[in-house]
Amino acid sequence: MVDLGFRMLLHDRTRFTITVSGVAFAVCLVLAQVGLFNGLMDNAALTIRKSSADLWVTSRNTANVDFPQTFPENRVDRVRSVPGVARADNLIVAYLNLALPSGAQESTIAYALKDFKAWNLPWAMKEGQVEDLRRGRNLIIDDKAQRRFGAFRTGEYREVLETRMKIVGQSTGALSFTTTPISFLDYDLAQSLQPTLLGGRTTYTLVKLAPGADPQAVKAEIQRRLPYNDVHTRDAWAAKSESYWIVNTGLGMNAYLTVFLGCLVALVVVAQTLYTSTMEHLREFGTVKAIGGSNWDIYAILARQASLAAAVGFVLGAGMAYALVPLAARADLKLLMPLPFVAVTALGTLALCLGAAMLSFRKVAGIDPGLVFRS
Amino acid sequence: MVVLKGEDLAKTYREGRVETPVLQGVSLELRRGEIVALEGPSGSGKTTLLQILGCILTPSSGRVEVEGRPLHGAGPRELAAVRRASLGFVFQQFNLFPSLTAQQNVEYALNLKGVRDPGAREQARALLEEVGLGDRRDYLPRDLSGGQKQRVAIARSLAGKPAILLADEPTANLDSRVGTQVLQLFRDLAKREQRALLIVTHDPNVRSVADRVLQIRDGRIPDA
Repeated sequence: MVDLGFRMLLHDRTRFTITVSGVAFAVCLVLAQVGLFNGLMDNAALTIRKSSADLWVTSRNTANVDFPQTFPENRVDRVRSVPGVARADNLIVAYLNLALPSGAQESTIAYALKDFKAWNLPWAMKEGQVEDLRRGRNLIIDDKAQRRFGAFRTGEYREVLETRMKIVGQSTGALSFTTTPISFLDYDLAQSLQPTLLGGRTTYTLVKLAPGADPQAVKAEIQRRLPYNDVHTRDAWAAKSESYWIVNTGLGMNAYLTVFLGCLVALVVVAQTLYTSTMEHLREFGTVKAIGGSNWDIYAILARQASLAAAVGFVLGAGMAYALVPLAARADLKLLMPLPFVAVTALGTLALCLGAAMLSFRKVAGIDPGLVFRS
Repeated sequence: MVVLKGEDLAKTYREGRVETPVLQGVSLELRRGEIVALEGPSGSGKTTLLQILGCILTPSSGRVEVEGRPLHGAGPRELAAVRRASLGFVFQQFNLFPSLTAQQNVEYALNLKGVRDPGAREQARALLEEVGLGDRRDYLPRDLSGGQKQRVAIARSLAGKPAILLADEPTANLDSRVGTQVLQLFRDLAKREQRALLIVTHDPNVRSVADRVLQIRDGRIPDA
């Protein structure tokens, strides 16, 4: 079969390049923007998803994991007494000031527990042992903090709230939405650093369910016994933490707007170039009709051209977006492009290009084959 | 055997309130293997008649029959089907697809008529051999001379073995020598395969290849 659509498209290489560039630019924009958004959202609930807690007890109306509020720590006893609870421990999440060798101060989000291993926090260590946190005024800092805190090594000392602490290890991969570096320290030590705020108080209670326990039933019972707290399942708490940033910062709107603009740019570029191309090839389409072709034969040519522009544009655009991944990583940004999202973008690109061809469909439907007799 | 018949054909164009009659009761018949030249000055209605006989335009009144099939009331889809099955066209401007090679131009017409590879490829090759362009199969139209382009157009018109060939001023863009060669070739091929050929022309050379010459004046053919 002679592929007239393909030949016609490649015959005018400049126009083909413009069409494909428009699609590629839009695809890259959508993939990179949404990938960045996904990366930020992943950070927003990373510690929630990585910890092994099935339920999180929070202070009433706590909006997200990075904005903790305190409540009495002895409420953990009531949680432990609920049937279906295998284990419950308090977790303090608090912003602490850390003095750099330069004399400057930087913030760190400290996660404080008595038994880190039991809750899979931190979930990956680059150096050191998490058990060392129980052995004195010790601190584990995530390796991503080097960007904000400057270079540091295990065994060095830093002052946290004017208390000299030893860095006993470095975790890796622990990130927060705000990019404030995460550190880990002992629960009692965290309380001693801020006795006024944290004495006898905690910010979260982590709950592990007994095998076979119904999460919703246990959640409801904890909620009944702690009417002045909120109780969330892991997924619900992660979703709440993420939606806080999406809704309250306009990040979601920004992402949607960029995706919309990306699609609009592609739609306009493809529609315009295909339409112009159709106008310039009217005589050829008239010839197709005159020698016995139907409107459907011409629609097939245009659809083929739109599909080709979509396919080539998508491959180039996706290639560009994937090339941005290591560049973004250098700036501590994650571009997360899971396969289903990439597949949906590919289908969207095809649908968009075919949609753009509709304008040309309308034009060719009315072509008079008699035009081929005009000189 | 009559393969193309027009009976009492009339066509009037309307532009606002102005009506312009272009054809006024034209009748003609083409028999298998017959070559007919249709001559007439500009504006005499010859191209309109060709379009009506070629199932591209519908007449205001009158009847057209293609291979015994009356087309009265036929819709665009049926007319396209008749064009595919029974008609081959050669145009003054050649109207080849610039992005396709000579071979592909002929092959594409065969594809439209439902012939698929490898049959289409072989038939296109044979047709180009017949018009003497076997060695120019892979040339794009821009790399062919006017005469060669018209030969490709003739090969394309023969694709699918249509019973009727309609040619609109096929020599208008060719010099006299090449025009004569093209006409002779067209005649030989039409005669050999018993195709009816109607040539609309200004060119007096066409008379030399035609079995019959019709004159059209002011939308009428007095001696059809």
